[in-house]
Amino acid sequence: MKVIIDRDHLVRSVQDVMKAVSSRTTIPILTGIKIVASEQGVTLTGSDSDISIESFIPAEENDRVIVDVIKQGSVVLQARFFSEIVRKLPRETVEIEVKDQFVTTIRSGKTEFHLNGLDPEEYPRLPQIQEENMFQIPADLLKHVIRQTVFAVSTSETRPILTGVNWRIESSELTCIATDSHRLAMRKAKVETESEAYYNIVIPGKSLNELNKILEESNEPVHIVVTENQVLFKTKHLLFFSRLLDGNYPDTSRLIPTDSQTDMIVKTKEFLQAIDRASLLAREGRNNVVRLSTLSDKVVEISSNSPEIGKVVEEVQCEQVDGEELKISFSAKYMMDALKALEGAEIKISFTGAMRPFLIRPLHDDSMLQLILPVRTY
Amino acid sequence: MSWKMLETSQPHVAKMIVNSIRKGRVAHAYLFEGQKGTGKKEAALLFAKRLFCLTNVHEEPCETCVNCRRIQSGNHPDVHLVVPDGNSIKKQQIEQLQEEFTKTAVESNRKLYIIEHADQMTVQAANSLLKFLEEPSTKTVAILLTEQLHRILPTIVSRCQVISFHKLPTEQIYAHLQKQGVPRELAILAARVTNNVQEAFQLSQDDWFAQARKIVIQLYEALNKQYVQALLVIQQHWLTHFTNKEQMNIGLDLLLYLYKDLLYVLLGEEQKIAYDDCMNEFQRSRFLYSEKQIAQHMRVILQAKARLHTNMNPQLLMEQLVLQLREGSAFV
Repeated sequence: MKVIIDRDHLVRSVQDVMKAVSSRTTIPILTGIKIVASEQGVTLTGSDSDISIESFIPAEENDRVIVDVIKQGSVVLQARFFSEIVRKLPRETVEIEVKDQFVTTIRSGKTEFHLNGLDPEEYPRLPQIQEENMFQIPADLLKHVIRQTVFAVSTSETRPILTGVNWRIESSELTCIATDSHRLAMRKAKVETESEAYYNIVIPGKSLNELNKILEESNEPVHIVVTENQVLFKTKHLLFFSRLLDGNYPDTSRLIPTDSQTDMIVKTKEFLQAIDRASLLAREGRNNVVRLSTLSDKVVEISSNSPEIGKVVEEVQCEQVDGEELKISFSAKYMMDALKALEGAEIKISFTGAMRPFLIRPLHDDSMLQLILPVRTY
Repeated sequence: MSWKMLETSQPHVAKMIVNSIRKGRVAHAYLFEGQKGTGKKEAALLFAKRLFCLTNVHEEPCETCVNCRRIQSGNHPDVHLVVPDGNSIKKQQIEQLQEEFTKTAVESNRKLYIIEHADQMTVQAANSLLKFLEEPSTKTVAILLTEQLHRILPTIVSRCQVISFHKLPTEQIYAHLQKQGVPRELAILAARVTNNVQEAFQLSQDDWFAQARKIVIQLYEALNKQYVQALLVIQQHWLTHFTNKEQMNIGLDLLLYLYKDLLYVLLGEEQKIAYDDCMNEFQRSRFLYSEKQIAQHMRVILQAKARLHTNMNPQLLMEQLVLQLREGSAFV
């Protein structure tokens, strides 16, 4: 293999794939970055076996030559050293040449590095992509979808399946559900698809967080392909693979109540701030619990009492309160997470009694929903 | 290593594994049990290769496809090997393994893990593993390797298919070593210390081993004279020569075989002894000990071997051993 690459492009690509490389891995080859030079350009791959990121540097872009492939081939280079080296090279172009036994020469200006490479055959195979089972979603929408669900995944390993987000794709609608069995976040979004395929997969929360960091805030489409073992997100020059969680996601549809006894409509920001203030004292307590009770005249009272510290009471003016009187306690943290995740200036909260889970939804938007279980206090 | 080689050394193991693969009845967990050097790990890797090999048409894995090569080099993403971290396998290691197995496989849809020295799992680790073994996901294969079956939780053993690796007859290794021109006195000892032909050969080629043998004889002679001298031998030679646990273990083994020889001499089975050149010494000391006393001495050495794993100070361990060995004999 012998290529000459524009350094800025290489640095950017290496930085992208480095996000997937983990220093503590049990598989020695994964400490490296795989470099493949083909006629079309150069592909870099980094992986920690959970997620894999592939970055492509095209040979030409906007009539400018970025990569000059003199000889095709591939090699795996130690990620730690390779990333440092390319970042600190002096000139605009980098020459990478692989010789016998994968000894790699990296040249830039008068600097010359010799790195011992590894056999690219040893590197894990990424799944082959089949173009037909593909669907599309704009990057910024995808980022929102991730942000609005991934916070609710479970952090405990006792039920591993709950550490992921359930993605269901059916007749060009994507439904994402995350729950840690105390709260649930759901988001629906339209996707563009040509096939009528039905998918039901669970993507690890960690992978989605990484994906969110890598995606740019733009409305460029992201192509998503689901394979047997992995899911692939594809942007212009970046491929993001993630392994899936094994197992069946619990059926959550029956958890979401359909009727309600008490409905409230409040201004999101005001309500969030009130909860935030109430939680100042509650945070010290054991489980960060605040209490909400309806008063007359569309007013609700939010209070919190920590006997050792003190207590706080605040009245919030609602837009509308319908139905029965209610006193309910819930975790302030869960409530704030949910409110932060929702869009819209006004939200509707539907209660079905003090011991039943309640729903939080934006007023005129059915695509997102948050469900929180109350806390028993007596 | 190939099935053919396994068949000659461990015929029933090879047959059991080959048949289970051929009939598509691979169990979810195996426990390979057998002495050091009986080829447990090689067999486990061979098994893994056989399951993952891409040119899966013959009984033998091809050893040339990417999967075979990556299993050999430890780079296959769906084959996991757990080895003791320090002295034991920690709970954290098992948890990592469990986390790994909640996800789908990277390449194929089959996953395999090998736990080496499964007897060295901490109690917590073993209990974590137990839960994991109880609920095997489909297409997962576990292979546990151990030299000491009885040190594994019975609840774990009951969830695995136990495959015993038999010891190679010492004579077979001995004959093999002699064919390669190893002197008799070293060959016979090396064949007893390990059950792996290659390892035995390396050991017999090592100067360290010949030296170790001399020190052991020296210690024995000193023990028959005066125990003060024996303490000197420990101080001057033993502790400087046997510097780590592994070496100490071999040293104690050598001492054990020496007492075994003495027992043979007493029983009149001189042809079985390993230390030929000590014959005169044995003849002289045969009247010093009764069979019962020798058995007691051997028990003391075995106890010392067991203590080796409990982080005892090596010098104290050896001194205690010498005192105990002396105690049984009459002061003449």
